[in-house]
Amino acid sequence: MLSRIPEKLWLGLVLVLFAATVVILIVLAGADPVRALQGLLDGAFGDRYAIAETIVQAVPIAIVALGVAPALRAGIFPVGSEGQLAIGAVTATATVLAIRGAPAGVALAAGCIAGMLGGAAWALLPAILRARLRVNEILSTLLMNYLAANLVLWLVRTVLGTAEAVATPRSDRLPVEAIIPKLVEATRLHWGILAVVLGAGALAYWIRSVRGLGYDIFATHRDLAARMGVRESTAVIGTMLVSGAAAGLAGWIQVAGLQGILYPSVAGGLGFTGVLVALLGGLGPLGIVIASFVMAVLTTGSNGLQTDTGVPASIAVIAQGVLLLGAALVFAARQRKARTAIPELTAKPAEQAP
Amino acid sequence: MNAAQIGFWAVLFAGAVRLATPITLAALGETLVERCGIVNLGVEGMMALGAFMGVWGASQQSWGMGLLLGAAAGGSLGLLMGLAVLKGGVNQIVAGIAITLLGIGLADYLFQIWQPSGRSAVVVPLVPILRVPLLDQLPVIGDALFAQSPLTYLAVAAVAAAGFALGRTTPGLKLRSVGDDPEAAQLRGVDVVAVRIATLVLGGALAGFGGATITVGYLGSFSDDVTSGRGYVAIAVVIIGRWSPVGAMLGALLFAVFDSLALLAQSGSVGLPVEFFSSLPYAMTLLALVLTARAQQAPRALGRAFGD
Repeated sequence: MLSRIPEKLWLGLVLVLFAATVVILIVLAGADPVRALQGLLDGAFGDRYAIAETIVQAVPIAIVALGVAPALRAGIFPVGSEGQLAIGAVTATATVLAIRGAPAGVALAAGCIAGMLGGAAWALLPAILRARLRVNEILSTLLMNYLAANLVLWLVRTVLGTAEAVATPRSDRLPVEAIIPKLVEATRLHWGILAVVLGAGALAYWIRSVRGLGYDIFATHRDLAARMGVRESTAVIGTMLVSGAAAGLAGWIQVAGLQGILYPSVAGGLGFTGVLVALLGGLGPLGIVIASFVMAVLTTGSNGLQTDTGVPASIAVIAQGVLLLGAALVFAARQRKARTAIPELTAKPAEQAP
Repeated sequence: MNAAQIGFWAVLFAGAVRLATPITLAALGETLVERCGIVNLGVEGMMALGAFMGVWGASQQSWGMGLLLGAAAGGSLGLLMGLAVLKGGVNQIVAGIAITLLGIGLADYLFQIWQPSGRSAVVVPLVPILRVPLLDQLPVIGDALFAQSPLTYLAVAAVAAAGFALGRTTPGLKLRSVGDDPEAAQLRGVDVVAVRIATLVLGGALAGFGGATITVGYLGSFSDDVTSGRGYVAIAVVIIGRWSPVGAMLGALLFAVFDSLALLAQSGSVGLPVEFFSSLPYAMTLLALVLTARAQQAPRALGRAFGD
């Protein structure tokens, strides 16, 4: 039924369905769709500050997605970025606060490295469990997210908590030297965006390398990949640690790039969105950067939408789900076309043969 | 044991059986879905939407309507997932994540439209508790086993029925054959695609019903993240229970005992921090997942796209 729809129609069909869903939801909330779209665009692109805010939102999502892409390409499915990001934020904050008074270069480097190590450490257990005991990594990383959330809550309430009287638990403010410098004045856009550029470059290099190709093959043909020298335990542990380190890096950036304060809610869904963006972006660097920007537009835009028209901001979550399902449908249709095209190609030489 | 200790265990077990009910229902659905070869990662979203629809339906009419709407919402998401995976050729894991986002997003969105923040939350009447005379007076286990919501008894009955149907009936055999060797099943005239879509609808309905039991059966109101990962726990429990309905129920009880302990720890003062007890049910689920990882007997075609 669905497979008979021509491949070219799919993209249009998905976009129409997406627009229809969003319009129905907005009407359901009792708002005018045109005004709502205005609110969404205002929220995301209204002025210089809003645009910078959208990019700031896209940075951690892109970093998480770029980091999780090698694992997903190898057919491993870690969904623990949410917890790893929070743990990375904690280790970075704790380290920076412990070396108070250090010069800016040292404080920034220490925070960055501590964040990556923290995130990777939180990924280590599920990675080993998957590599050695074949424990399903989707479920182990999901469960680790809940453990991380509780651990961070406890740490921020006790050891890392500020001595000031505050309503919600939080850490002390990081010293000025440890704050990531601003890229554009009078906005919150900071140099953390450099990590996205470097990460995208690294992923582009990885995809084109022989090893990266071996890992791609590992996803579908274990034996062939083994003959190319890809060891299963190395592939599983390596890619899962990279995804953890990237999430931890994003955690440091969320603390040191914005307010300089660690809140227990630091992850706030960024980890999940990152995994989603990696899939939406087709597991390639350019696609991921674009997809993370689209997701950030949805987030800041839906916040603008809520202030302007009262449409709940959770419309962004529904939109994400529809986008992911739609993108997967388009992708599957392309694959079907490629598959039916291959026999035609291979049939031609046979016909010409005498 | 003195009276206080007996009281503690009685409350702990009664809470555990209550908390296990939604997970048992969702895990039972997921067991059936995985036995036909599909991994449904959308359970969390189905439970969340079911939990919301339950409260809404109960507030509009009755708790029966709430439960019905919860099951219908979960079933609809199951149908959507079935069409995407089996007709649209979408990867099962990706489809499951999308369904989870849809379910959670819709539940939050509709809830906020219905009850904008700031207004006091609507509380609906709960499904009344069913006491078995005399037996509910038994020490320690009386409250746990004989003074529960009818939904709990229903869940146990559903587990027994599913266990029987899966092992002893033709539809059950068809379902298992589709999960173990879909190509052979197709050759024998079983419509693999139809069986899988129907099972996803049933599994989704059970997850939605399970979500509705949280709100209509025990809490009486909805809040953001009311399911707090119980959908994912249900999937873990299926593996821990080795893909059998009774195993899923026992796995759900394991999580629920520690969940109940965490609730008790929150009310009383204990030496350890609250967060430690809140972590316990998830940590124990992970531990059980590790301990049962060896010698797994998953359905042979689990997770593999039909036709590959």
